[in-house]
Amino acid sequence: MTVEEFGGSVGVSNEIDRFPIGMRVLAVDDDPTCLKLLDCLLRKCQYQVTTTNQARTALNMLRENRNRFDLVISDVHMPDMDGFKLLELVGLEMDLPVIMLSGNSDPKLVMKGITHGACDYLVKPVRLEELRNIWQHVIRRKVESKSQSKSNNNQEKPNHEGGQEAGSGDPNGKVNRKRKDEDFEDFEDNGNEDDDPSTQKKPRVVWSIDLHRKFVAAVNQLGIEKAVPKRILDLMNVEGLTRENVASHLQKYRLYLKRISQQANMVVAFGGSKDVSSYMRMSSLGGLGDFHSLSGSGRLPNAQLSSYSSSGMLGRLNSATGMTLHSLTAPTLIQPTHTQNLTGSVSSLNKFQPVVLPTPPNHQPTNLFQGIPTSFDLGQLQQNNKPNTQLPDFNTIDESRFFNSSSTFPTLGSQSCLNLVSSSSTFLDVPHPMGDNFHDQLPPHSSLNYGHASSNNTITNTMTGFGSSITSTLSVPLEGQSQSQRHVQYGKQSYGQYSSNTFSALAAAASPPNGGGLGGPVSQSNDQICGVYNRSNGNGPLPMQMNKQTHKSNTKLKMGSGENYLPSGYDSLDDLMNGMMKREQDPMIVMDGEFGFDPYSFGSCI
Amino acid sequence: MERNQMHRQIANTRKLMFDQGYLDEQFIQLEELQDGSNPNFVEEVVTLYYRDSARFLSNLDQALEKRPLDFSKLDNLMHQFKGSSTSIGAKKVKTECTHFRNYCNARNAEGCKRTFQNVKKEYTTLRKKLEAYFQMSRQVGPVETAYASSVVVCTIRYDTIHSLHLNIIHSNLPLRRCAARSH
Repeated sequence: MTVEEFGGSVGVSNEIDRFPIGMRVLAVDDDPTCLKLLDCLLRKCQYQVTTTNQARTALNMLRENRNRFDLVISDVHMPDMDGFKLLELVGLEMDLPVIMLSGNSDPKLVMKGITHGACDYLVKPVRLEELRNIWQHVIRRKVESKSQSKSNNNQEKPNHEGGQEAGSGDPNGKVNRKRKDEDFEDFEDNGNEDDDPSTQKKPRVVWSIDLHRKFVAAVNQLGIEKAVPKRILDLMNVEGLTRENVASHLQKYRLYLKRISQQANMVVAFGGSKDVSSYMRMSSLGGLGDFHSLSGSGRLPNAQLSSYSSSGMLGRLNSATGMTLHSLTAPTLIQPTHTQNLTGSVSSLNKFQPVVLPTPPNHQPTNLFQGIPTSFDLGQLQQNNKPNTQLPDFNTIDESRFFNSSSTFPTLGSQSCLNLVSSSSTFLDVPHPMGDNFHDQLPPHSSLNYGHASSNNTITNTMTGFGSSITSTLSVPLEGQSQSQRHVQYGKQSYGQYSSNTFSALAAAASPPNGGGLGGPVSQSNDQICGVYNRSNGNGPLPMQMNKQTHKSNTKLKMGSGENYLPSGYDSLDDLMNGMMKREQDPMIVMDGEFGFDPYSFGSCI
Repeated sequence: MERNQMHRQIANTRKLMFDQGYLDEQFIQLEELQDGSNPNFVEEVVTLYYRDSARFLSNLDQALEKRPLDFSKLDNLMHQFKGSSTSIGAKKVKTECTHFRNYCNARNAEGCKRTFQNVKKEYTTLRKKLEAYFQMSRQVGPVETAYASSVVVCTIRYDTIHSLHLNIIHSNLPLRRCAARSH
């Protein structure tokens, strides 16, 4: 397409004519030399360049204003966050084209870039000619989203106003791409003009946590295979949302689930069992991925963190969620009582659809799961698992509750949440670190089946899903008060309490001798959890089997005894939680591809 | 004439760096990015590189002191260092980095240490040469430097149509001057 096409007849603005000039690019690279060079090259192409050497800063910039950039270029190898994770997050949350950059041309890495959704992979040193063409990715995405909408529409209503669909598809595509600058808008307008003059530009749909939660609930209710945009839309009953919006969101969700399931499958090798399936569910929590990334920035109090053995679980919210999921699946979770409690408290968390994975024996941690909102996949999880009465309940779980449960989740969840929260604040409500209450509530044996020192695999299993980020947190066996009733109480606990508990728990967990044991398994579970997060495509039970170990229901996180563990840094937890709440986009954080049992050291998570 | 001599000297120094393999095409890319709005770009980037990479080198030094050697960590560090070096076109440094990484992958501690010494040597040598080059260039003035570079490029790369073409296109210098001087 030429610039003239963009110009179009409608309200052509100067910028349109000039596209790709003025395209807004965000460049991320930790190496200052490369960054400077990249900056200069991009300016030479007459793009508007913003640079940062921190992935987290980049994410914040993107989150605070999605429409501020047209394209993201990111280095693969970065200290604060893996480039692929950033890639996934940006793709899921903001749906912006991302180009990977690396000094390494290893085909495996290129492949990884592809699977994580990169639209291109450049090898350093980058040449000017290569950068001159990158605008094509921006346009392609727009065009594709439009045609996607169209095809979605057509799919749903084959006999329906096909033409109209096409017409409305455009606007939808357009809607989703509305940008502040006029370039694309005009372009889109032009396109729409031709197709459907009556179409009006609609504001871009922002998939807030709340909205996503509804979406997931609807999907779960319908069943992933039967979930069609029209019906989802009806179930969601949100004003102003169109089928096209739902359709494109559903597509992303499916991809996410697919990725999770793939990862889960990897994990399955380890320990396929029903637990695994439960894990998978958990992973669907999508949000975890987000947490994962979030955790990067939010660090739990160092003391705690270090105790956690670094697996990165801490950082990852996901892990927390994963954990919770795990626990959720535990039969205990499923227990109606739990459910009730959970539901009560978790109103909004929904995201975590009680992933009630097929009740792994003793998985109590259902609560945890609830805590972890975020993923799309909650709904998915449900599908696979048992009857989800519980799930729906979970949906209602509000995020704070969510955290609570996560807190039960061996501090892992909380920790990661905490970390996440602090760092990213945008991330979904970080599962509230288990507050004091939680602490008491943690049923020693029930819900927190986190990586018991005895190496209950369950936790680890779930954890593994997470891709090891969580592992560290899980390991901390939450001593104590594990009674299922505790879980119930979680919801009531104040957020802060939880956070403190979590930390304490974590800390406590870290110290106890068996904590070590947990650490191990936990990490694994983290991985699993992470894996779980990956979207599993509606494939039946999420590859919980991935979790290598069978969930042992015993893994419970032992929360430290009821003392107030609240470490000093807990205020941040609250912030984290808040931050997380603010997360707009569904946290389908895709867990890092390395699902495996890659123990993420806590440090690395962050 | 003094000026011409300076120009010629600068041009020759530069040519030597290329001929001896210290610099490669990427350096030319950097030069091409230098223009009126960015008159000292090349020097800035190179300075940034030396400042930043010093950190890598010291980390590598430390890592090489440890026993046993953590090869994956070494590889990581070297990967980043190599990336920077590639960005400025430090050819010999890059080559030595590749050797280092090969030894790392083969877990050959001796090989690693030996190549690392080479890396440092090339790094320091290039630094000296570039510093001298920039100093000379500064004496004749920034615009002149660009001019001199492009002239040199035109002359040196006369046979390489592509480079010549590129240079002329991207250079801010008046074409006719360049052309006049190019032969």
